[in-house]
Amino acid sequence: MNSFEFKNFYILTIQVILAFLLSSLIIILLGASPLDVFKNIFNGAFGRPEKIVKTLLIFLPISLASLALIITFSTGLWNIGIEGQIVLGAIGATVIAKSFLGDTALSPLYQLIFGVSFGSLWGLLCGFLKVKFNVHEIFGGLGLYFVGSGAIIYLILGPWSKEGIASTSGTDIFNKASWFPTFSDLNIPALPILIVSVILILSIVFLGFTKTGLKLKATGTNPDSTEKFQFNSGVYIFIAFAIAGGIAGLAGVFQASVFHHKLVPSISGGYGFLSILIVLASGKRIIPTMLLALFFSAMIAGGSQLQLRLNLHSSLISIILSSVVFFWLVVNSEVLKTKLNKLFLKDS
Amino acid sequence: MPFETSFITVISLSAPIVLVVLGETINEKSGVINLSIEGTLLITALTAFAISVTTGSPFIGFICAGLIGSIVGLIIILCDTKLRMDQIAVGFILTIFLGKLSSFLGQDYVRIPGPYFQKVSIPFLKDIPYIGPSLFDQNAIVLFSFIMIPICWYMIEKTRWGLIVKAVGENPISAENRGIDPEKVRIISTVIGGFLIGLGGAAFSLHSKFGWSENHTGNYGWICLAIVIFGGWNPIRASLGAYFFGIFQILALKLQSYALGLTQVLPLIPFPLMILTLVFIQRFNKSDNVTKLPKILNLFFGGQEPGNIGRPLTKK
Repeated sequence: MNSFEFKNFYILTIQVILAFLLSSLIIILLGASPLDVFKNIFNGAFGRPEKIVKTLLIFLPISLASLALIITFSTGLWNIGIEGQIVLGAIGATVIAKSFLGDTALSPLYQLIFGVSFGSLWGLLCGFLKVKFNVHEIFGGLGLYFVGSGAIIYLILGPWSKEGIASTSGTDIFNKASWFPTFSDLNIPALPILIVSVILILSIVFLGFTKTGLKLKATGTNPDSTEKFQFNSGVYIFIAFAIAGGIAGLAGVFQASVFHHKLVPSISGGYGFLSILIVLASGKRIIPTMLLALFFSAMIAGGSQLQLRLNLHSSLISIILSSVVFFWLVVNSEVLKTKLNKLFLKDS
Repeated sequence: MPFETSFITVISLSAPIVLVVLGETINEKSGVINLSIEGTLLITALTAFAISVTTGSPFIGFICAGLIGSIVGLIIILCDTKLRMDQIAVGFILTIFLGKLSSFLGQDYVRIPGPYFQKVSIPFLKDIPYIGPSLFDQNAIVLFSFIMIPICWYMIEKTRWGLIVKAVGENPISAENRGIDPEKVRIISTVIGGFLIGLGGAAFSLHSKFGWSENHTGNYGWICLAIVIFGGWNPIRASLGAYFFGIFQILALKLQSYALGLTQVLPLIPFPLMILTLVFIQRFNKSDNVTKLPKILNLFFGGQEPGNIGRPLTKK
């Protein structure tokens, strides 16, 4: 048993190295030095305490979006509409921040409730289209995402436009009472950290140790089996979308009230799509997902350094991230894994 | 007269989208979803512009963009058939990768002038009202996009090749039992479809949205995916969908001065329409429901999804 685990670890190491070597090749082809790039990113992400806080602020929504996606992927659903659920969560938060509740001390609480419900509703809508009308969740999700981004642009230019002149740069900054409370000079977002930790633990318990979680996974692995065990897979698709949408909505609340302190057209920051990359690579396992989410956040936070220090376009970060994930999936595909096994573990 | 100008503009503006939806329709007919369109359009638009600036020949740029589109298609289908990777996952990753790659590689080409296709005026034909000026007095890309519509329709609906592609998209196992190699069919259709998508990308940067800027074709890829579904996997209806979308774009431009924000919101119309189409297709196209759907609605919202779409081939 022990040697078996060792073998797995051995192959895993080779796979990770291969994926990074192949991605480094892309960096070299684009005319940059992988070593310089990674050194600068690391400095940019962890070099000073303020930078660590910035990385953390990026990690919060990304880890939430990834957890949301683990739940839908486990149910066998391609929740590409997650961007839309983040957007709706942010809209939910702004509804409160812009209302008379926006300057009361309880504003963050109401924002959480509204953001989570809005996101959840958008997820449910996608689930409803899937279960009732058999609309594939990719297209339903994409459609709803763009409806959401239409709504956000309308709101920013219309009812919530800046005082004086409407502009796509976003709404006015929220009232201070609507910001989430932080502590120390570094503005550490204690409450969001606590919320993410709770959701992380709940997700582990939910997927690993509850009957509902088990049935979700059964729906994902083998939809036909659900009939044999006499439960309605449609119900579990609803549950998965409701939970995932709610968690994604929470990410949207954080984006609006913790990060930007206002509503901007690109409120999701593309984090929903990046989180899909994370979960594709981590294979739906929670702990690897969190580690990868941290890696992604550090890359994004550190990426701002590249332009300043190395004069490299910031798009390089997403190029590296997507190529790492792509090559990881290639070396982790059944076909190549078998070949790697044969190549490196001949004697055992 | 203003109506005629608008008509001409719609036909001309929609040329790239027509090419892309034709390409993706061919892909999806064979059962392959090329989800990478959003990224493919960006990289091929850049390729076409950069190469035509470098070589001075827009034609070479146009063809190279098609080749890049084919290569992207080939990557997706090879990952699917040879490595058993999920085609949707690969397409999704490529969307992000290629999109950002275009931002990175395109930095030197932002808002610079470049060579463009000359107008091709065909005598006599160009004097036909409406159709003449919009097709026969434009550059070759517009004419090409228009000619490709009946060609694609004929290839899919009337030839043996089209029948084989559809058979593979519907049920690869029974196709294989009849001596067809589904893998080969899917590879060929994805490469051809990818070529058309690449040409569509080129048509943006060499024609309808001339030049290059970061995120130059932003969101058009997703819109094209929506239009393919709106088109019910029929090349003619998909093209009509593309023109329909062109009308929305013109409307958005014209109404810009009246209502701020409409410019950004109107181009998103295809998405709710896509959802509606899918709802209609699934609701009314079950065999017992066919008769209940009014014919006129069926014309616009009917259609049959390829049975094996998005699924990998399973070896016997």
